[in-house]
Amino acid sequence: MHDLLIAPFELGFMQRALVISLIVGALGGIVGTYVVLRRIAFFADTLTHTVFPGVAIAFVLDGSLYVGALVAGLVSAVLFGLMSRRDALDDDAFMAIMLTTFFGFGVMVVSRITTYTNDLVVLLFGRVLTVSRDDIVVTSALGAIAVLMVAFAHKELTLRAFDPEGSMAQGYRPLLLDLWLNIAVTLVVVASLKAVGTVLVIALLVTPAATARLVTGSIRTMMAAAAAVGMAAGVVGLLISYHASVNHGIRLAAGPTIVSVLTLSFLVALGGVTVRRRLRRPAALVAA
Amino acid sequence: MSASIAVVAGVFDSFGAVWESDILRRALLEAAVVGAIGGAIGIHISLRRMAFTTMALTHATFPGIVLAAVLGVNLLAGSAIFGLALVLALAALGRVRQLDTSTTTGVLLAGGFALGVLLLSAQDGFAKDLTSFLVGSILTTTNAELAVTVIGGAVLALVLAVFSKELIFSAFDPVGAEAQGFSLGRLDLIVLLALEATLVLTIPSVGTLLSVSLLVGPATIARLWTDHLRRAMVIAPLIGAAFAMAGIVISHAADTAAGATIAVIIGLGFAVSLGLTSAPVRRFFGQLPRSRHHELRPAHEQPTTSPSARPVSPGKVSRHGLGRRAAQETELVR
Repeated sequence: MHDLLIAPFELGFMQRALVISLIVGALGGIVGTYVVLRRIAFFADTLTHTVFPGVAIAFVLDGSLYVGALVAGLVSAVLFGLMSRRDALDDDAFMAIMLTTFFGFGVMVVSRITTYTNDLVVLLFGRVLTVSRDDIVVTSALGAIAVLMVAFAHKELTLRAFDPEGSMAQGYRPLLLDLWLNIAVTLVVVASLKAVGTVLVIALLVTPAATARLVTGSIRTMMAAAAAVGMAAGVVGLLISYHASVNHGIRLAAGPTIVSVLTLSFLVALGGVTVRRRLRRPAALVAA
Repeated sequence: MSASIAVVAGVFDSFGAVWESDILRRALLEAAVVGAIGGAIGIHISLRRMAFTTMALTHATFPGIVLAAVLGVNLLAGSAIFGLALVLALAALGRVRQLDTSTTTGVLLAGGFALGVLLLSAQDGFAKDLTSFLVGSILTTTNAELAVTVIGGAVLALVLAVFSKELIFSAFDPVGAEAQGFSLGRLDLIVLLALEATLVLTIPSVGTLLSVSLLVGPATIARLWTDHLRRAMVIAPLIGAAFAMAGIVISHAADTAAGATIAVIIGLGFAVSLGLTSAPVRRFFGQLPRSRHHELRPAHEQPTTSPSARPVSPGKVSRHGLGRRAAQETELVR
């Protein structure tokens, strides 16, 4: 038992990986609850791609990856907030074009460097096992701002999600509320950059909250459950990845392993909910 | 004037240089064919608002390609079988009551992509394969790949042409289509299967990024310029082919990644189209009435001029709502 659960985390890099996985797991669950309620999973996915040119330029200029990502992320969050008000345009189509254009620009920047394939992969998938103390500090700070932002506007964001007309009738500005949430999501994406990389953050933002939504109808419970699922998947994923590589000689990248654990927990919850509904149906028929 | 002639001559020169080279000529043809297919299917993607589904399917197809490579089976066959399972899973996930399709699509995207990366991380040459999956390697297109793309594209175009009327009708007026006895589920499935088939054909050569760009971009641009669906269906493949070929020529001249360059050009083309077709610009050129108030009146009170002077906004055509606008366009199509 000790070998299985405790021993891996006696190593320094595994401790840091554990801490950062717990932080981004909780962050993804909390902010992801709003992503699922507002149905902006595609926006979250778009953001994970549009921060890439910022990261690429920072990489080329030797600047801070976090600053580059933050600037690119905020630009796309504001751009989307403004464009989604245009009736003539399908939001999804706009996001898809923004995503491919920004990401393509990032690849063009990186492709000017001769050996770009390895760098590209590091930028995209992060290296949870190589995070430093500084990374943990930056992630915690950005994450804390994001959580404070959604906590501050919890009531308004919930109203906007469930009753957009009512929210407007009460005088709330939809553009400002949307921008507020967009920026909080951007902060989470940037905070998770080093741990799971830009591309797999989407899993942390959507899957835990979707899993929680399957099992509960209350927002508070959903948020707590989503954070718990996100954190638990981080721990389990790290352990699986560690034991597979160290004891069985199978290299399993830590980030994707965490995401696979998340997907598995979603499928289990989905199976459970489906079975429960099947169990209930005959009773309902009898009652009728 | 002479400067612009020089620029045009320069573009023709570099196009000529590109055409001379065997490798680049194949890349150019592949780009044109994929661009045209993307534009043709893209119209249906755009009508059904399936941009996110497209994105998700590109990423979730990934494990199929890796598995086929690992097991040593034919890449196309392996990813086609996996893609079929994927489409069925997406259709099944769409029926989960508690979650909207955007969320289930997100879960599928992330889960599928992670599975692919996981499988790949256990192999050698991790970084290189992953990059070529994402951004493609259109410059290494072989004659065989080109032939498969052309034949597959022709088959897909035929399928779309055969079902064209039903697909458009059900996209604009699902309730009416169902009342006439069409199965909406089956029509959605046809589009999903055509989409997945396109991705299976194109991802190995152009990558996921460019597939999404070519499937969504040209069709969206075409629909900005015209409300007339038949016209958009002709314009979109032409735009797709033209932008894709321009991207190859420019990437060759500027020494940048080919697929990424095409994606950026499509994005710029979209931004320019968006600006030129926006209400203020059209008002400036006299294509719209000066005052905004005209637009707010019911259709029969609006000053009727030429057909091209109608208000630009096609409105948000809800998949389930039957707006007047949607009914009009359906009439045009019939």
